[in-house]
Amino acid sequence: MSASVKKQQLSFQIPSAVKVKNVEKQETLLTLSILTLAAILSFATRLFSVLRFESVIHEFDPYFNYRTTKYLVENGFYSFHNWFDDRAWYPLGRIIGGTIYPGLMVTSSVIYHLCWLLNITIDIRNVCVFLAPLFSSFTTIITYLLTKELYTPGAGLVAAAMVAIVPGYISRSVAGSYDNEGIAIFCMLLTYFMWIKAVKTGTIFWGTLAALAYFYMVSSWGGYVFLINLIPLHVLVLMITGRFSHRIYIAYSTLYCVGTILSMQISFVGFQPVQSSEHMLALGVFGLCQIHAFVDYLRSKLTQDEFNTLFTALAYSFGIALAIFLGLLTFSGKISPWTGRFYSLLDPSYAKNHIPIIASVSEHQPTSWSSFYFDLQILVSLFPAGLYFCFANLTDANIFLILYGITSIYFAGVMVRLMLVLAPVMCMLGGIAISHLLSKFMKNVDNSKPAEQGKKKAKLESNHVLKSEIATFFVGLVAVLLISYTFHCTWVTSEAYSSPSIVLSARSHDGGRIIFDDFREAYNWLKMNTPEDARIMSWWDYGYQITAMANRTILVDNNTWNNTHISRVGQAMASTEEKAYEIMRELDVDYVLVIFGGLTGYSSDDINKFLWMVRIGGSTDRGAHIKEWDYYSSTGEFRIDKEGSPTLLNCLMYKMCYYRFGNVYSEGGKPPGYDRVRGAEIGNKDFELDVLEEAYTTEHWLVRIYKVKDLPNRGM
Amino acid sequence: MFNLLILCALFINAYSLETVNKQIVNKNIERSIDLSSQLVKISATLTVENTGKESASNILILLEPKTKSNVSYISVKNSLKEELKLTEVEVQDHKSKQFYKVELSQSLQGGRTIVLTLEIVLTKSLIPYPSSISQKDRQLVRYFGSHYFYSPYNTLKQKTTVNLGSRNIESYTKLKPVSQLESTIVYGQYANVQPFSIDPMVIHYENNSPFLTVTSLKRLIEISHWGSIAIEENIDILHSGAKLKGPFSRYDYQRDVGSSHHSVKSYKTVLPAAAHSIYYRDSNGNISTSQVRVRKDWIELELRPRFPLFGGWRTSYTLGYSVPSYQYLFKTDKNQYLLHMRLLDHIFDDMQVDLLETKIVLPVGVSNVQLTTPYEVERLPDSLTYKYLDKKGRLVISLRKTNLVEHHIQDFEVVYEWPSSLLFHEPISLTFALYVLFLVIIIYVRLDFSLHEAKSEHVKTQ
Repeated sequence: MSASVKKQQLSFQIPSAVKVKNVEKQETLLTLSILTLAAILSFATRLFSVLRFESVIHEFDPYFNYRTTKYLVENGFYSFHNWFDDRAWYPLGRIIGGTIYPGLMVTSSVIYHLCWLLNITIDIRNVCVFLAPLFSSFTTIITYLLTKELYTPGAGLVAAAMVAIVPGYISRSVAGSYDNEGIAIFCMLLTYFMWIKAVKTGTIFWGTLAALAYFYMVSSWGGYVFLINLIPLHVLVLMITGRFSHRIYIAYSTLYCVGTILSMQISFVGFQPVQSSEHMLALGVFGLCQIHAFVDYLRSKLTQDEFNTLFTALAYSFGIALAIFLGLLTFSGKISPWTGRFYSLLDPSYAKNHIPIIASVSEHQPTSWSSFYFDLQILVSLFPAGLYFCFANLTDANIFLILYGITSIYFAGVMVRLMLVLAPVMCMLGGIAISHLLSKFMKNVDNSKPAEQGKKKAKLESNHVLKSEIATFFVGLVAVLLISYTFHCTWVTSEAYSSPSIVLSARSHDGGRIIFDDFREAYNWLKMNTPEDARIMSWWDYGYQITAMANRTILVDNNTWNNTHISRVGQAMASTEEKAYEIMRELDVDYVLVIFGGLTGYSSDDINKFLWMVRIGGSTDRGAHIKEWDYYSSTGEFRIDKEGSPTLLNCLMYKMCYYRFGNVYSEGGKPPGYDRVRGAEIGNKDFELDVLEEAYTTEHWLVRIYKVKDLPNRGM
Repeated sequence: MFNLLILCALFINAYSLETVNKQIVNKNIERSIDLSSQLVKISATLTVENTGKESASNILILLEPKTKSNVSYISVKNSLKEELKLTEVEVQDHKSKQFYKVELSQSLQGGRTIVLTLEIVLTKSLIPYPSSISQKDRQLVRYFGSHYFYSPYNTLKQKTTVNLGSRNIESYTKLKPVSQLESTIVYGQYANVQPFSIDPMVIHYENNSPFLTVTSLKRLIEISHWGSIAIEENIDILHSGAKLKGPFSRYDYQRDVGSSHHSVKSYKTVLPAAAHSIYYRDSNGNISTSQVRVRKDWIELELRPRFPLFGGWRTSYTLGYSVPSYQYLFKTDKNQYLLHMRLLDHIFDDMQVDLLETKIVLPVGVSNVQLTTPYEVERLPDSLTYKYLDKKGRLVISLRKTNLVEHHIQDFEVVYEWPSSLLFHEPISLTFALYVLFLVIIIYVRLDFSLHEAKSEHVKTQ
């Protein structure tokens, strides 16, 4: 600093103190208003579907969550915990309390009861619909706090603003998408924040808070496994890089002990934290921590030679004992083998080859390159820059961010749905990059004043001719990038992620909007006009929706826990009428529901999913006679027209979808019975159903319900 | 409960049994029975003569046997169209029969005649036959009645016109003289019919008008002194015509565009002209198939259930709207208000409602509540409900009645006292709560609660 400045400071001490305070106040005001705006924005941008359609629950899984939440609100926690659901998986049933993560339901029921305590008479459906946007507002704030801890407050603000609208996160948290992920991302970032605090301070207080946040995370999403591997990985890396200290020791030991005990309270998790291999890294690192601390202690007490001898001896004996111990446990079945979903994380092709039911879910597919850009836009390019800045300024906390970034980008590449985990870290790293660059260049945008102040300086720096211009240009460039990011995010949200999928809409020729509300039409028909205890067979995708909206018993649902049972339904769909009738009698089926898009051109219907039914149906012993190749035409194609395989043309699914469709003119200039999805005239037209009768078909033929006929009377 | 009321009424009348005045004679009866909808609407013009010398202050009306539970509405008017008072009575020697006593506005002098108009609406009196039909079949129903007007008096001459609303008649009983022209059957004229004479009339004909029964209607009226009244109706509907037998084929249904089909695709509900914020939904969300048309004096709502209703099918939905309160809520005195609204409102033409439950939610802090109903209804115990940050509950008046038709669309009146200062009670308490909250935050931020002295961070930066 030049002397004149110092003088100034001395002479006007009091005013400058006031100035500092004012600047600080301004900063607080600015931070608060930016955060508030970001939080409001993140809530508002998720409301497209509510404004366009209505306040309604989306998709499939959210309907189950909604139903269970309603049950929890009506019957209290204990009966919810002990709930045996006889509406699903007939005749097996399902123990709901022990097979779900209850965090989501408990959260919304707490909010609901809080509102009612103040006599705000809010409907539980609205609580459920708006829960995800509410928690994404919280996520915005927690992103700021976390990034602030990891880097600078400025980076935190940019990251918060970015995470508010990042499509990768919005895809799972629009209003109405009432799913575990909606609150889990908030829980995950909260845990990270507490963890970083614990690492920085090394206090039991923050460690315990981290454990509590971890407990909330475990109670709400199965993805907690990622978290409980990432934190130990962080500790491990810190050990390897020689950064292990008492702070880390305290933080991790507290988190692991308290967190594990707490997580075992969730009945769905149970003893997994000490048994399954997914949790072994955490346990191993916990052990390593103890050893490391012990070794450090010994080292401080012994001479170098004594220590070396002891260390080698101990290391070998420990290593061998551990290997034998683990081996024994694995073979005796105490440590559960790696589950299929986890394998598919490590090896993308694993599921496809081995477990058709996992491979059949579209969100379990590997991510394509384009969807990275679609969901993250400029963040993809800012990610490496952010990583670079983290590496340039390594701290204990930064290492965590680097690890989080690298592991999650790998997992997001393996499975589409894990894009969700990647999106926040992308925003954080992007925020760091942008904030770092901007704060560098912003200083130089306005350099007229320093030039006047000190002429010597100006002379020294005169070799940077266009300093200000370059800086201005760069700042403008970043602004353009950010603006394009905003537009892209809004466009993606509005176009791709804001349709409730339970109500479909299309544009008619004259520009008006046509609404296809067939799903609810069918479910409502089932609810009103079938016996209370009717059992409905459908493909598992629609299970949750049927139980939630029609309140009827179903055979299989989206909780695909029993492969054999689903396979049996697949066999019924893929068999001929007579064979299917045997299966349906065996399963006590009263009604069969199929989704058919041939008239409207709705492409994710049951015929397009049919090959999966065949594959899953044929994957068990009882369905060994069902072979995928029988359903292809002689040229090896899946066709529904005359060229199609006769096995396909006579199976139950085909007949149920196309019953009496052969007479319908679906599109101008095409023959009757023209399937608009497959783009072909159906091959089997005039047939009657022997064992089924049409019970209901919705207005646009999207849902068709058949009644299973009783056995004929004797003598008829 | 309703039966209990009847019992009570019977007890009161037990010690004063009525007798049939033999001097009274029905000089002429013109009866018309309208069977074109799902209801049986009987209207009769009675010319009654007092042949005796003593004046009669009342006359008796008799219901046909076994129709008691079906009678939804009954009224008698004189020639000036004034409604006369009707009471259920028991008559000596005819204890099993259902009588109503009509109290005449002026007693009928000997030798004088009087003209009365009797109106009866019967529900559930058209029985589908066959009781279940397939999708393509026509819906046939049977009506069971009497060729003669059932009366405790001697009838000199009478004539009955039956309007069927359809030319397709399977069969009808023929008590001569009888004539049929298109959709109308005329019975009579019959002369000198003895008292209590009955001759069974059965008409079997096609009736494709909507057979919809509202099995339960829960109407909630919520008053806000901020300027609007919210009305919500939870409606359960059953198609009470012939049950659908066999499959429902969408293909056939879409080809069969004829309007006169026994299934019901849509119907029209009439709402008050000032209704706004209308919603139509069910437990699964909004039902997108409805249309609002604004007419001059009312709003017409074309409601389409999610699926067409066939015999035996049910549906249920919620219809809600708001109306401005100045049209229904009046200030009669200082702090005294009068609410004037319909107990039951239109759902569809020729509706029949099995059970109506109307709840009226009054504002917080009302007192001296008085209720006047247009006809006898059962009043359930009052309850309290809490809404929008209420500390004190709101009084809820609950009313119940069974078996209603359009004729029951009439107004009730509630008078209550309510201090208008309560209007600002909730905004002020909310403001106060927020004020306290901010105050607490300000105090928390300004004061330092830590035990050890905090190191000033500015020292470092300077």
